[in-house]
Amino acid sequence: MNRSNIWIHVGLATILIALAAILGQLDRWRSTLQTTRERYNIQKIKPQAPIAGGVPEILVWFKPGTSLSEIRGVAAAHNDRLADEIESVPGLAVIDDLDNEDVQKLVGEYSGLSDVSYAEPNLTIKLDDPVQKDDAYRNDGVFYKTTASLDAPNDPLFDQQWALNNPGGDGGKERADLDAIEAWKTTKGSEDVVVAVLDSGVDYTHEDLANNMWVRPANIPEYQDDELGTVNDINGFNADDKQGDPMDDNGHGTHCAGIIGAEGDNGIGVSGINQHVKIMPLKFLGRMGNGSTAAAIEAINYVVDRKQHGVNVRIISASWGSNSNSKALEDAIRAAGDAGILFVAAAGNDGSNNDRWPHYPSNYNLPNLISVAALDRNDTLASFSNFGIKSVQVAAPGKAILSTWLGDGYREASGTSMATPYVSGVAALVIATEPSISMAELRKRILSTVDKLPALDGKVASGGRICAANALAGQIVKH
Amino acid sequence: MSFTKESAVERAKTDLSGRLGISSSDIRERVSDRDFPDMALGAAELGEMAAQMISSGWQIDLDAGGKTYEYRADKYQLRLYNFDGRNYVVE
Repeated sequence: MNRSNIWIHVGLATILIALAAILGQLDRWRSTLQTTRERYNIQKIKPQAPIAGGVPEILVWFKPGTSLSEIRGVAAAHNDRLADEIESVPGLAVIDDLDNEDVQKLVGEYSGLSDVSYAEPNLTIKLDDPVQKDDAYRNDGVFYKTTASLDAPNDPLFDQQWALNNPGGDGGKERADLDAIEAWKTTKGSEDVVVAVLDSGVDYTHEDLANNMWVRPANIPEYQDDELGTVNDINGFNADDKQGDPMDDNGHGTHCAGIIGAEGDNGIGVSGINQHVKIMPLKFLGRMGNGSTAAAIEAINYVVDRKQHGVNVRIISASWGSNSNSKALEDAIRAAGDAGILFVAAAGNDGSNNDRWPHYPSNYNLPNLISVAALDRNDTLASFSNFGIKSVQVAAPGKAILSTWLGDGYREASGTSMATPYVSGVAALVIATEPSISMAELRKRILSTVDKLPALDGKVASGGRICAANALAGQIVKH
Repeated sequence: MSFTKESAVERAKTDLSGRLGISSSDIRERVSDRDFPDMALGAAELGEMAAQMISSGWQIDLDAGGKTYEYRADKYQLRLYNFDGRNYVVE
């Protein structure tokens, strides 16, 4: 070997040694990897398929003593992933399948492992679907119709207002109501329509009435009376004390006002037959719910005056009366009619025939007057209700009627007092859609569009119950 | 003035004794709970108008001298019904 050949040999030896070292390391690495795979039985990893929805597939409860790293290893050995560990239940793991395996097969694989107590599919929980088939809800095992319609207002007590929508619960008859939900598809009322509630006043601060209370507009002058002088009637009129504050101190007027126009769909209390309207409170009944004829006449005079000054007050709702006949009162109501104001009056609660034993003012034979009897939730004449084929025109719900009361309250009450404002309210709905309708046409519309009821045949002149949907349509709407 | 059933009875007896000129001890009472047709307890005075809402109260029947006189009351009022064909507000 000469000197030049030595360095060649040294170089080759160096290279061989380096290669040997490299190969040796590679072999050690391969050996380690093989051991790991053998230990955990890891199969060759397949390309991961995207998981539809990304929801972990199964829940697995590993036996006590199984460590977190061992759980991860088991998941990895099955081409799965530990998605979550439920700390409150030691050993409970949420496993995410990465290779789109059938869930039941996966459950079977894990259930067969010695370290696993049980495995189950990760079930999807959803809200119970509302019963759509018959639009019914279950109560004590009996299905009733719901107000689940998207057209029903969100007032929390609406389901108790059978007069507006009667599903037939509480012993009532399905659809023995004013068909309010159907009517509201046409109109929910208008703040351009003013209804005068001639009564014990109204709690105009009530949470469910305040937004629907009439306030004298700035362009309407204060009330002027030759004897009373100038009355600040910003909230209405009090004929009981001849002042301007018609705050209710009894509750009856507030109840009637709520029937006509408790604000609807405001998430509070009840809904009136008008969700939107303006109620003009007039107080002539005192704290105990009684008042003089003279005070009633004074209040009617106020309404006529306001109308003549531009207030769009079209209806007076009068849930009161007695067997006292007053010519002066009759003349005052006639004057209101001459001014285009409809007068709606309660027929009375003696259970008697008004054709034989008159009740006033409902018995006055005036072209602007509607006398109202009361129905119960079965579309039958309430036992207390007066009637009269000549002297009583229509009937409306009037038994167990939920409405507003003093102090942001709500209560049920019964009487032709409650039936009367439903008629007033339906009249207001018609005016909302037909502002130019005359008083005479309005009265005719209400009387000619009733739902005829066998129970009212021979009892009231129209033979029927008022129906808001019919009155708006101008005809009998097929139910 | 706020009545209880008992105080209404006593007040009614006092009223009747004055009207008839007899002693209250000569009056016998019978009282029952009752619903009335309006807020005047179905006993509105002449020319009086009443809210037409069913109202709960007490019927007080007072027997004196072989006749029965009917009073009607609730927490707030006492009325004499159909006395010689008329109704009266006592209180």
